Amino acid sequence: MATIEEKVLEQGAGRRSLEQMFEERDRLTRESGHYYGITELSLRDADPLKFERFYSRLHTCVLAAREVARYVAASPGGREMGESLWALTTAEGDSLALSLGFFSHTAAFPVAVRYMATEKYDDNPGIDDADVFCTDDGLTGGAPHPGDTYCYVPIVVQGEIIAWAVGLNHIMEAGAPVAGSWPGFCVDTFMDGFVFPPMKTGTKLKQATWWDNLWKRRTRAGTMNILDDKMRLAGCAMVHKGVHEIVHEFGLPYFKRAVREVIEESRRMVMDNIKALMIPGTYTGVAFRVAKYGDMQKIWAQADRDNLIHIRQELSVDGKGRMAADLEGSSRWGQHAFNGYPGGADCSLYLAMTNTFSHNTKVTAGINLTVTSHYPKGCIYNPDNDFASFANIWAQSMAMNSVGFYSINRALFSRGYLEEAFATDGDWDGVQGAGELADGTPYGFTNFEYVGGVASGAFCYRDGEPVTWAEWTQLCNIGNAEEFEYLIPTMFYLGRKTLPGFCGHGKFRGGLGQTSVHWIVDPGRHLGMSRGGAGTAMTTFTATGMSGGYPAPNCFHVTARGTNLQELIDNGGHTPRDAMEVIEYAADGRLKVDKLEVWKYDPPELQMKHNDLWSNATGAAGGWGDPIERPASLALQDLNEGSMKPAFVAALYGVIATQNAAGEWELDAPATAARRAAIRLARKDAKPAAQWWQEERERVVRREFITPIADMYRGSASFPKFDREFRGFWQLPADFQI
Amino acid sequence: MAAVDKDLIRQLVDGTISRDNARQLIRMARKDHERFWNYLEVLQARVAWRDRILLRLNDHLYIVAKTGGGRVVKCDCGHEFGDYRTNWKTAALINVRRTHDEFAQVYSPAPACPEPEWQEIREFYCPDCQAQLAVEVVPPGYPLVHEMLPDLDRFYREFMGRPLPDESPDWYVDRTQDTTRAWHAAAR
Ligand SMILES: [Zn+2]
Repeated sequence: MATIEEKVLEQGAGRRSLEQMFEERDRLTRESGHYYGITELSLRDADPLKFERFYSRLHTCVLAAREVARYVAASPGGREMGESLWALTTAEGDSLALSLGFFSHTAAFPVAVRYMATEKYDDNPGIDDADVFCTDDGLTGGAPHPGDTYCYVPIVVQGEIIAWAVGLNHIMEAGAPVAGSWPGFCVDTFMDGFVFPPMKTGTKLKQATWWDNLWKRRTRAGTMNILDDKMRLAGCAMVHKGVHEIVHEFGLPYFKRAVREVIEESRRMVMDNIKALMIPGTYTGVAFRVAKYGDMQKIWAQADRDNLIHIRQELSVDGKGRMAADLEGSSRWGQHAFNGYPGGADCSLYLAMTNTFSHNTKVTAGINLTVTSHYPKGCIYNPDNDFASFANIWAQSMAMNSVGFYSINRALFSRGYLEEAFATDGDWDGVQGAGELADGTPYGFTNFEYVGGVASGAFCYRDGEPVTWAEWTQLCNIGNAEEFEYLIPTMFYLGRKTLPGFCGHGKFRGGLGQTSVHWIVDPGRHLGMSRGGAGTAMTTFTATGMSGGYPAPNCFHVTARGTNLQELIDNGGHTPRDAMEVIEYAADGRLKVDKLEVWKYDPPELQMKHNDLWSNATGAAGGWGDPIERPASLALQDLNEGSMKPAFVAALYGVIATQNAAGEWELDAPATAARRAAIRLARKDAKPAAQWWQEERERVVRREFITPIADMYRGSASFPKFDREFRGFWQLPADFQI
Repeated sequence: MAAVDKDLIRQLVDGTISRDNARQLIRMARKDHERFWNYLEVLQARVAWRDRILLRLNDHLYIVAKTGGGRVVKCDCGHEFGDYRTNWKTAALINVRRTHDEFAQVYSPAPACPEPEWQEIREFYCPDCQAQLAVEVVPPGYPLVHEMLPDLDRFYREFMGRPLPDESPDWYVDRTQDTTRAWHAAAR
């Protein structure tokens, strides 16, 4: 063992630049096929107990950082919910140990550290022990969107960077023209808000005063954002201190070798897990998302159009247990808010990968070495224009993650691990905005509740459930309504519940989506509200359902402006509790509304007044299997719980029920059998695929598409792979232009 | 990890497994490698035909080895969809929903219905038993999505350690466009 330590010491002689470290890491990894050329796990094998004790010490640092830091200082979003993470990485930003929280953000770390390396930050501004660096940039920092803010503290021993303590969380307000956490309607990155490449913002674990002042001047929730900044740094300080103690205890040579063995060990485990769970082959998943910008504004003419975003992922699994996700064929980037850069795209892609393949091992960069991604230059995940907006890649990249997750679950189903096979839709919605109180105080906010948890999709053996999962964090939690009420003093809850019928249907159905009704109270001089969110009801969440089940429907909003709500309350009457009840109350006159609007696409920032209502419905999940195979008992349960309407159940599920004297629904078995037989019979009228193809091809040849679809096809076919797919499938001549 | 009881596998396939048992399976530290073989046995016992199941694709479809050679997609009802290298959807019945009323029969409530014109809903049925095998919600003109093309030889040899008798590099090739080429030729 001593010889290894000597060798390491020898290698570490003289301070290497960060860039040299990357060069060595990349070269040794590439040449050997093992992380950093580590072919033998010498330290682990020589003394496994010491090795595990070493790792548990590292792990404890980051776990403790999260549990303590968020009670030192934090916005409620940072404290209450899963929207944060602390990590320890190698000098090159490869993850070693993670707290609870949003794991997949580890994909951003190597992007930020590599940027600091290639920009020679070790010369200028210098990288010293306990310095503080911050970033929220997509291109240079790997951030998914400007609301995700990262703090990096270098750990330097004997003049060499040996590790980074990293803390990050999702802040409440990003300082863009459209207020909130996910700036909407951005034409380019100059409308993304307060975006900064990795910057040295402090030294000796203390932020500079100018840094606090930037938060105060460039965002609408300065106080909350400074609290979160302190939270991130407090956790990093704990990790920084802890790692210095560990290095002191175990010695620098041990630390430097052991961290590489940790990553190599987990890389091997991830490959083992892939071989244990997957089936080699090629899986294709598809999803769509609308960005409706046409007629929204007349200032930026280049953005005055509707966009259909195409997400296409081909996931391949090889015989060694490696996987590659190829996003070629996805849309080109556009003049809208929903682009991203490779680091941020990876933060989405690795959600499914980390969750499925990083179990049973240390959660490290091992996953990033085993599963690779390809985003061709010019696509929505890798714009060939450095000024493309990346305000909300999450609006479409959750679907990108879902289609990959679907692919994994198809393999799990085929291998017989049915307990793991489910539909993985993950729609989300956050209500956001800004205003000016009666006394002139400006404020900005985001309600994170439906970023915290949504319904789970149907498994192949049971229904999904409401508010039980969030594909972006393992800490599913929608937060306390009361927290959001004191945080956003102009919004009160009239209702927060599941929405009947709102799911992807199938033999087993997805969990019901959720809905809230926010009552606007004394908003002061001005209140503008909008939303950040994944899907809009224009499209389904993914395009490909599971085994004959339907993919989940997406989010919609209902706004009621100019209401007599106060009258209803004064008279002691009922008030609407969900998005559909707002519509029903307005329709039957129980609620008088001057302007009722139903939004199937992202609403622009709307001006809200006292007694106005803002309601959302989101988080529905997908179904599994043929609806007419649904066990009648489950269909009856849906009726008796009020989860479904009888007419809908009869039409889609073929289950006919009657209500008994007690008001309970009972199965009419003969009628059900007859109805299901009739549905089967009607299906015989469907077209053979060959006939469908001939007719559909005519429409393609005549280009019978609305403009956004034609634009989408043109953009996707600008990448050779989708051009071959489209042209080949429809047998189009070489001179055919979409 | 001890192999999971075939009775439990049967309950998973039937959808009758208890929540506790399903949770126990989810919590297994390592999945039982033999599951695949036991799963195939359970599945094989449930179908009325004799062709050997190589892989289950979804609730109703399997890739099977034909005794005379060849690997085809087969429904549990016995209907054959042809060579598995061609997307089986090209051998299915297709129902396309295009209008809001048609969408509203499968999506609710009304504001959550996807928007016609921007997409169509395609439902794929087995020509013999009419089981609904897949759903696509895609813009008009979108090529059929080939959800999964398994590399069976590699799976059986390298992941499961029991190579298939008819191994060939040709098995892992997407042949879907051969079918559309033939359709095009037939129409001209
Ligand atoms: Zn059939």
